[in-house]
Amino acid sequence: MFRLLNILLCIAALQFSLSCNQEKTARKVPLEDFFRNPERSNFQISPDGKYISFLQSYKNRMNLYVQALNEKDVEFGSQARRITNMLTQNVGFYRWANNDQLIYMNDIRRGACLYSVDKTGSNYRELLSDCKLGLKLINANNLRNSELLVALNKRDSTFFDAYSLNISTGNLKLVAKNPGNIFRWFADDEGELRMALASDGVNETLLFRTHDTGQFKPVITNNFKSKIEPVGFCDYDRNCIYAISNINRDKSALVKFDCGTGKEIKEVFSHQDVDVHEAGYSFTKHKLIYAGFETWKKERHYLDSSAKKIYTSLQSLLPNTEIVISDQDSAEHKFIVSTFTDRTQGAFYLYVPSQKKLHKLSEINPSLKASEMCSMKPISFKNREGILINGYLTLPLGYKLKDLPVIVLPHGGPVHRNSWGFNSEVQFLANRGYAVLQINFRGSDGYGKKFMIGGFKKWGTAIQNDITDGVKWLISQNIADKKRIGIYGSGFGGFCALSGLYKQPDLYACGASQGGYINLFTYLKAVPPYYKPTLRMYYEVIGNPETDMDYLRAASPVFHADKIKAPVLIAQDAKDARSKINETNQFVRELRQRKISVTYIVKEKEKYSLKNPENRIEFYRELEAFFAKNLAAK
Amino acid sequence: MNVRKFSLKKNLALNAVFITLITASLLAALVIAYNFTSRYVYNEFERQKIDVLEATFKPYNDFFQNKIPEISFYQGYLDSASAAKYCDTVLKTFPFVHRIIFYDTQISNHDVPYSYTANKLSVSPKAIFQFGYKLPADSAVIFKASLANTSPRLSIDEFNRMAAKLSVYLQNADTSKNIVDEDLFGVFYNITPNRVTFMNIPREEELKIFKSLMLRNSEYSPEFEQDILSFKLNPSKLTVINNHPKLYQDIKIKPITFEPVNTDSNLVITELPLSGAFASNKLYFTSSQSFLSLELGRRFLPFAVTILIVYGVLIFIGFLIYRNLRINNKLFKLQYDFVNNLTHEFKTPLSVIKIAGNNIKSASQLSERELTHYGKILDEEADKLNDLMNKLLSFTQIENQSIQIKNSRVNLEVFIQNMVDAYQIKYPDFNVSYHINQVEFFNTDPVLLSSLFQNLIDNAYKYSLPGKKQLHIDVGLQKADIILRFKDQGIGIPKNEMENIFRKFYRIQSEYNQQGSVGLGLAFCKELVKFMHGNISVKSKVGIGSEFTIILPYT
Repeated sequence: MFRLLNILLCIAALQFSLSCNQEKTARKVPLEDFFRNPERSNFQISPDGKYISFLQSYKNRMNLYVQALNEKDVEFGSQARRITNMLTQNVGFYRWANNDQLIYMNDIRRGACLYSVDKTGSNYRELLSDCKLGLKLINANNLRNSELLVALNKRDSTFFDAYSLNISTGNLKLVAKNPGNIFRWFADDEGELRMALASDGVNETLLFRTHDTGQFKPVITNNFKSKIEPVGFCDYDRNCIYAISNINRDKSALVKFDCGTGKEIKEVFSHQDVDVHEAGYSFTKHKLIYAGFETWKKERHYLDSSAKKIYTSLQSLLPNTEIVISDQDSAEHKFIVSTFTDRTQGAFYLYVPSQKKLHKLSEINPSLKASEMCSMKPISFKNREGILINGYLTLPLGYKLKDLPVIVLPHGGPVHRNSWGFNSEVQFLANRGYAVLQINFRGSDGYGKKFMIGGFKKWGTAIQNDITDGVKWLISQNIADKKRIGIYGSGFGGFCALSGLYKQPDLYACGASQGGYINLFTYLKAVPPYYKPTLRMYYEVIGNPETDMDYLRAASPVFHADKIKAPVLIAQDAKDARSKINETNQFVRELRQRKISVTYIVKEKEKYSLKNPENRIEFYRELEAFFAKNLAAK
Repeated sequence: MNVRKFSLKKNLALNAVFITLITASLLAALVIAYNFTSRYVYNEFERQKIDVLEATFKPYNDFFQNKIPEISFYQGYLDSASAAKYCDTVLKTFPFVHRIIFYDTQISNHDVPYSYTANKLSVSPKAIFQFGYKLPADSAVIFKASLANTSPRLSIDEFNRMAAKLSVYLQNADTSKNIVDEDLFGVFYNITPNRVTFMNIPREEELKIFKSLMLRNSEYSPEFEQDILSFKLNPSKLTVINNHPKLYQDIKIKPITFEPVNTDSNLVITELPLSGAFASNKLYFTSSQSFLSLELGRRFLPFAVTILIVYGVLIFIGFLIYRNLRINNKLFKLQYDFVNNLTHEFKTPLSVIKIAGNNIKSASQLSERELTHYGKILDEEADKLNDLMNKLLSFTQIENQSIQIKNSRVNLEVFIQNMVDAYQIKYPDFNVSYHINQVEFFNTDPVLLSSLFQNLIDNAYKYSLPGKKQLHIDVGLQKADIILRFKDQGIGIPKNEMENIFRKFYRIQSEYNQQGSVGLGLAFCKELVKFMHGNISVKSKVGIGSEFTIILPYT
């Protein structure tokens, strides 16, 4: 009897080990680990380089901590002092105003709330605290003499004037009046308000003055499809600025621009395939450091030899890792460096070039091991019109790369793009065994003007076709199991998910939308009729409800509940202006009447936001169960 | 004999009572079932009208719950062309909508002709269109602000009602709070008999703006687009779906006030008011009595069949019980006869012994001859008794299978010759012949075999008329069996008795067996043959003779 049992056990053990050899799947990492708020984040260094500050969770909310920098021993935690006491909201933005004071805001974008506190935690002051107003910071990155330039809609709620706010005294002084159309102000490196962008909603006008006593003069006006984005001021010529511009070109380039003539002086850097999307500029040296562009990943073209040296030596210290210098002291002796790859959220380091040494400050999410995460591969394919479409494919670790269940993740926007790097959502889904496909369909940002305009009035049509072509390409590569393809996105991505479900009902086994737009009329109606120019822009991008009625109706999922066949998950914010809850209710009701399985996550009372960790975990748990049920192997 | 007559009488009475009772309860069951079904059918007639209402009203519910809210999806952007498209689908899908009036509405604080004004708020029709099935295209435009020769006068009343509702709501509403669904229904729907009017539900932000336009002296405002659609319904076009055609002969939609003038007493009527915009109408259901009887019949039939089957089974069981009783009765009679015969059979030798004993006792002196004579008589009669006893015993033994076969090799020639010789001596007038074919020896129990022979030879003698007492025994082989045939020229067996002769205690009622028979012979034979794994059968013709055939396994 015992012998028989022994034999049986042996057979069982043998089978177990065999099955393990066949498919060595990765460990199922707990959901919470993916969506953890970083323990410490947003490291900054004081201008004198003597203190380091960071955000750390206190009672589940992010608060500001400061610690003296001991050159020899950079161990964090116990010596750090909490200097804020935020219990209901997170600290969002913060800056060192000078060597002693820090300014900070909460992470809710509404209300003009700005606080200051000493690095010791004393002298807490509400600089601005008016929830009815809006606040924009103008030169928080380059504060001069404790004077902060801010924009407030104090005089009229519809536009923002520029004010100078004294950090030490709290004095607020009107610096420049807004004629009503300026939406962004710029200060030069000395803190003089010299530039502004005005808009009638569609056309942007660059306003400029050589001295803060002069009058703003319009320099150039662009349709919203072209833009000029000021980066910094040239050193000698007071009329000269650096800007990223796509005026008269398809791909944005970094240029030198003469605001006196309104003409481009010279192109500093451009890339033949993609836009220049950022530029590094030094306020102290008044010069450009690098031009940033994004091919399959973010890259930099250095324009300053000393900066290049620092980056090169950093790169040799941190091979195969992406590096971002996130802060530095004013003497540029100490740098805060953050890193990332596709498989890790990375860490913060303190880098002292003179010592050629890196001190690790904090790991962003130590509960995720890079070895357990999946690598993100750039892909590209030709769509049905022969246009090259780029994207990313993340394959689950340890699975046979054949006939995998796939989740298509259309990005939001649509004027936005997927980037290479760590993405919690993607890694979470890949860890659960799904191949994750991201596509930079037409209308995405970063591939030039024409590519972006290619998505205008093509919601649910050309854009959706690109997604469909991507899925078909993946099927043709034998990676996707064509019976197990799900689609999920939020905002515009949710719209794509719902569109896919009713336009290609046989392609997708299920779809999930997180606050996805379900009715384009409602989306348009979110723009109040006061803003006629803005409306015109919306009409050009999305469609004019008077002339494009049929297109808008055909593209709005709410009218097509009858064509959906697959199970749906919908998460809806009761207060979302772009997709109204009663329409989503009606949509869900119609689906349920047709016996379609609908998982409906809705919070009627509160604002539903995934920023809140509780909501986030709950949502992803539902999402996980939804895909597990509907994309299970049959 | 008296006893038996009495028992028969008693059975008859019992049977009669049983049958009467059964019939009575059968009738009662049928009547009750019929009444029950009848009540059920009339109840169903009342009850299922809800079902009809639901089916009939489904398109209206679809229209009201799905198609009307769709207007809100357009967010006020509908114009004449897109409204026409929307109305087209409505008119096509819902035949009971016979006309749609579309008010392209604008809300502002401007002073516009034909506007409904509440404080500063002006709600005005920019244009009014009507759509309907087979409506000429040129009559689509009722009013257009830009066309001088059009006037909204004829259709403005409904518009004003909606505008009034909105302004009353705006005046009272607390726009800082969320709008509640109940409010929406009261404000943006206007449901009157045969008409539904709907205004697309504005966004909360817009309601706030409207309220401030209404109450404040604001600047010249932009124009806010709203859509009002008024659906005129024709109840007679609502398709009645009779999903119980066996209950309702006819269903019609009638005005709620409709009252039939001359009601046919033969007609069963019920009605159900409609709801929503059709509230002024009702469903009017009629069926004639005979129509309902038909349905009643349909529903009653399975009941009746079931009841009849149950009663059929009952009667069959009754019959089986009765038959069983009769057989027992017969058996009782047979046993009674058997005891009678047995007594008789025992009595004859006993009386002979008694006489002989008496004679010996009373005789003063017995001569040598007398002594042997009496001795012989006593010996013979004692043998008879013994024989009788043996027969009875062995029969019961065989019946209970309590004897064992003692097989030995029997020479058939010798065995039968001995048998025949013995009978020749016993009955000199009995002519027994035999013929043996192909067999010489037979492996069997000689005692059992001789019992078989004795019984059959005895029977042949007993049931043959004097002068025709003849028997021919034929022995032969057939495959693996040995076949013994006993053919006599006796009185024969009537056909109807044929199957009874092998039964225990059974004797044919005839003059030949008035005495000296217990009715065990053939039953005994049958048991014996069965015991020897064989078979016995008989062929017979009355007046000509019988032939008994015994088949025994030859191994």
